[in-house]
Amino acid sequence: MRIGRAKTVSPDAESRARLAFEAEALASVDSLYRTALRLTRVPADAEDLVQETYLKAFRAADRFQPGTNLRAWLFTILHNTARNRARDRAREGLTVDSEAVDQAADTPSYGLSGPVPTPEALLLREALTPELQAAVDELPDAFRQAVWLRDVEEFSYAEIAEMLSIPVGTVMSRISRGRRMLFDRLQHLNPVHA
Amino acid sequence: MPSNHPSCASIDSLVTPFIDGELNPVDRQLIEHHLSRCGACRSRVAAEQSVHELMQERKTALCHGHAPAILRSRCATAARFSTAGTKSPASANAGRPARFGRRAWAWMAPLSAAASLAVIVGGAFLYQATAESSHLLAAELAADHMKCFAMNAVLGTHQSVEAVQSSMASGFGWSMRLPVGAEREGLELVGSRPCLYGEGKIAHIMYRHNGEPLSLFMLPRTVRPEQLVETLGHECAIWSSQDRTFVLVSRESRADVEKLVQYVHVSMR
Repeated sequence: MRIGRAKTVSPDAESRARLAFEAEALASVDSLYRTALRLTRVPADAEDLVQETYLKAFRAADRFQPGTNLRAWLFTILHNTARNRARDRAREGLTVDSEAVDQAADTPSYGLSGPVPTPEALLLREALTPELQAAVDELPDAFRQAVWLRDVEEFSYAEIAEMLSIPVGTVMSRISRGRRMLFDRLQHLNPVHA
Repeated sequence: MPSNHPSCASIDSLVTPFIDGELNPVDRQLIEHHLSRCGACRSRVAAEQSVHELMQERKTALCHGHAPAILRSRCATAARFSTAGTKSPASANAGRPARFGRRAWAWMAPLSAAASLAVIVGGAFLYQATAESSHLLAAELAADHMKCFAMNAVLGTHQSVEAVQSSMASGFGWSMRLPVGAEREGLELVGSRPCLYGEGKIAHIMYRHNGEPLSLFMLPRTVRPEQLVETLGHECAIWSSQDRTFVLVSRESRADVEKLVQYVHVSMR
């Protein structure tokens, strides 16, 4: 019996471009995985999420606009996939109260707790990285995502809006609220302020 | 100026973009002017700013984890098989992909050396993504092949031809004979293992060929075109006979794999 060989692609310009695309996409695997971990908090789920992201990305490669930000495109797919999964889980019984999250995000949070001591940065610098990590992980999903994507992954507001499928204004209010929540948590960790 | 002063509220929406350096010059001037006169707002801006700076400062520490090596290779594999058969955009959002890393290990927890003597078959229907692509099938089975052999190195399973054949009968209703004269081909039977696959079951028979791991997978009620696929450093030969699909996985050369396929195909009953 003869078995036909899988087609091998000749090294023409098109396949070189494809290889470059794949290599560039795969270079983001670490940051996608970290972000997926922040989203799911479960390593196995994060791995699934990243793998599904790459499957979708490679299959939809022809829809990627060359010259635009590939990393942002991958993050958009990652978040869309995570959202779809959350929706599936919600159908299975768990509920996601996204409306409450948005209401919370749109509520101005500052100006309520009165003046804050001025050497804020110095104060927070006392926080240990594991404490910061824990504080980030404890944030409600919507705020954690927004702060993480901005401060750690350094995406623009517009890119984050696209990823999370929310208006730019909501992105800003979630970042703002998320940072403020982090500040409150970290401040309480400091014995001087306890 | 108290923080609930109207002009304090009016700068609310400017605070975050101000900290992120994304304000236009006009708004920037507006908020700077306000901050120069309002201590409460200076404090709240400083609070948010300090978190922003702390996050950025600790970015490296927060990002300490790397994606596991197996995930990396699975993603690279995703690139390889998706190149071969580019899907329509609609299918890009189709069902979940098969998770060939974790799933293959699902059977491991309750497994003991004694339990491993029974042939265990896992899995029934393939995930949709798998059904779409022989490349994905090959990649998944190559991963399962590596894991089952790694596991076997720990358990040291060794089963007789009769034990495997009776497991095929009880697990699949196949009254089959394993290839005869296997020793002459340099094949030594190791045994069979469960590879939980999708939502159904497939058979996994393990051999050593001249000492090197070789797997023969059999998928019931599946017909696929013949193909030889290289994935994860393995050659995967796929062929169908009657209503069963066979996949032979090994690290050997294409020529050797083709010879072995020939042998298995003609000698298995």
